[in-house]
Amino acid sequence: MRPENYQAKNHPPSHEFELNFGPNHPGIEGNYAFKVKLNGDTVLSARADGGYLHRGFEKLMEGRLWIQNIALVPRICVPDPVPMEVCYSLAIEELGGLEVPERAQWIRVMQLEMSRLAAHLFAFGGHAATTGMYTTMFWGVADRDLILDRFEELTGGRVYSIYNIPGGVRREVPDGFLERMSSLLDYLESRLPDYDNLFFRNQVFIKRARDVGAMTQEQALKWGVTGPNLRATGLAFDVRRDDPYLVYDQLDFEIPTEPGGDALSRNLVRRSELKQSIRILRQVIERLPSIRGPIRCPIPNPLAWNVPAGESYTRVESSKGELAYYVVSTGGDKPYRVHVRGPSSMHAVQVLENLAVGSRLEDVAQIMFSLDACPPEVDR
Amino acid sequence: MSKELNIWLDNLLSDIESVQFQRRNSRRVRVDVGSEALPALLELLQGRASYVHLSAITCVDWIEDGQFELVYHVWSYETRSLVSVHTRIPRDPGVYLSIYDLYQPAAFFERDIHEMYGLYFEGSPDMEKFILTEWNGPPPMRKDFDGEAFVNEHFHWEQYHPQWLKDLEEEGGGITVRPEDVR
Repeated sequence: MRPENYQAKNHPPSHEFELNFGPNHPGIEGNYAFKVKLNGDTVLSARADGGYLHRGFEKLMEGRLWIQNIALVPRICVPDPVPMEVCYSLAIEELGGLEVPERAQWIRVMQLEMSRLAAHLFAFGGHAATTGMYTTMFWGVADRDLILDRFEELTGGRVYSIYNIPGGVRREVPDGFLERMSSLLDYLESRLPDYDNLFFRNQVFIKRARDVGAMTQEQALKWGVTGPNLRATGLAFDVRRDDPYLVYDQLDFEIPTEPGGDALSRNLVRRSELKQSIRILRQVIERLPSIRGPIRCPIPNPLAWNVPAGESYTRVESSKGELAYYVVSTGGDKPYRVHVRGPSSMHAVQVLENLAVGSRLEDVAQIMFSLDACPPEVDR
Repeated sequence: MSKELNIWLDNLLSDIESVQFQRRNSRRVRVDVGSEALPALLELLQGRASYVHLSAITCVDWIEDGQFELVYHVWSYETRSLVSVHTRIPRDPGVYLSIYDLYQPAAFFERDIHEMYGLYFEGSPDMEKFILTEWNGPPPMRKDFDGEAFVNEHFHWEQYHPQWLKDLEEEGGGITVRPEDVR
C-alpha cells in the first residue's frame, strides 16, 4: 500500500491491543506464531497459530512403503530425531512380531541418550538466548556439535541419522567409537560445572525464570503435560522406567524432579537429566562390548513386505515428553494409518496458551523455550 | 500390579454392557465399545480407575465400511497401564460427542481430527482451523482424498521451465564440471 493511500482505522478507545508474535521472531522456537492480546505489557490472552511447518507426514506415510517412511519420520522433530525412528520401528516390530537382537537394543539406547543430550543442550541454550545470555546458547550449540560428530561417525548423518530400521540398526558400531564416545562424555561432564556457573547458578537467570510460567502438578496432569515439564512439578514419571521399552529396565538411572513447576524448575530438571543421560551412556559403553551377536534380525524383502494386519500403540520418552505412534496395518505393503502423538502438541498449544495469560510480554518467549515446545511436532 | 488391574477392570466392565476387552500384555488393554457407551466408559476409567492422562485420540478412516474409528488412549499413572478404547461411528454425517469435560487435552485432538477428517465433535470448545488455515478443499486425511492426483491437477510442475533454468541448460545443463574435464 502506498503511504498516501493509508487511512488510519478508528478503533474505540481501549488499553488493549493485539500483537502478532511470530512466525519470524527470535523468541519463537521454529516457525510458529501467537496472537497475544495485551494491556500494557501484561498478556490478557494468547492464541496459538500453527501450520507454518505442516508437511502432511501422516498422509505421506500412507502412500509410501513401510521401509521408505524411515526416511520421513525423523523430520517430524528436528532437534530430537532419534526417538521418532525408534518409536516407528518399535511399532512395526510389534506388528510384524520381530524380535530385535539385544545388541541392537543397546545401540538404540545409546543413540536415544545421545539425542537427548543434544536436544537438552539446545533447549536450555535457546532459553538462555531469550533472556539475553547468548554465551550459553553458543556453548550449547558448540557442545551439541561434538555429539553430532559422533552421530556422523556412527550413522553417516549428522542430524537425521535414518539408522534404525525395523528389526534393528543399519550398521555395526565403528572401531574405536566407544573410546571416542567415552572421552566425549568426560568432556561433557567437565563442562557441566561451567554451565552451572554461567547459567544455572546465574542470578540473572534465576531472577528472570523463577515463578515465570508456573503450574501446579494438578494443572499439569489436567493439561496433559508430560516429560521434563511434568517432572518439574514434582511427579517422578518417566516412560523409560514406568512403561519400559528396549533395555531401559536393565539400566540404572534416577528420575530427577523439581518442586517448583516454573521455568526455572524445568531447566533444572533438564540440567539433572544431562547427568543421568551421561550415566546411562557410560553403562552402555561398559556393557556393549560384552554383548555379541547380530545387529538386526532378518526381515522380509523390504520392497515387498506385507506387514501383518493389526494395530499398535508404542510410546517412548523423547527429550520433550511422551512420544507415541499409533500404526494401523491392513496387511498391505504400506501403512493404513500412522498417527504421531508429539509431546509438543500439548505443550505448544493449550499449555502455552494457559501459561502465557497474566505473564509479561517479555516472558512469553521464555515460557515457550522452557516448555521445550517443538512446532514441527505440532504441525507434522 | 497386574492383579490389581484385573480387579479394577472387572469392576468397571460389570457396569457397562456391550464391552469387549482384550488384554495384549501387562500394560496394554484394548477395549471395544459402542459409540453410545464410550463417554460413560471413559468417565468410569477416569473417575474410578485413575486413568487420568489422555495420551491421544486417533481417527482411522475405514472408507469401505463407511465408518470412522476413534481410538482413545488413556494412561494410568497408578497402575501403569494403557487402555485403548476403540469405537466406530458412521462416516456420514460424521458427528460425535466431545470428551473435553473429562479430558482437557481432547480439545487439541478433536480440533485436529475435525480439520483433517471433517468429523465434528459436539461440545468441543474450539473447532476452528489450526493448521490448514488457507485450505478450502475436502478434509485431506480422508481416504477418498488423493494428494498426488490433487497435485497433478492443480500444479503444473512438469511445465515449470523458468528463464534461469533455460540459461543454465544452455550453459551445460547445470553441471558445472563436465565429465570430460574430470581427470
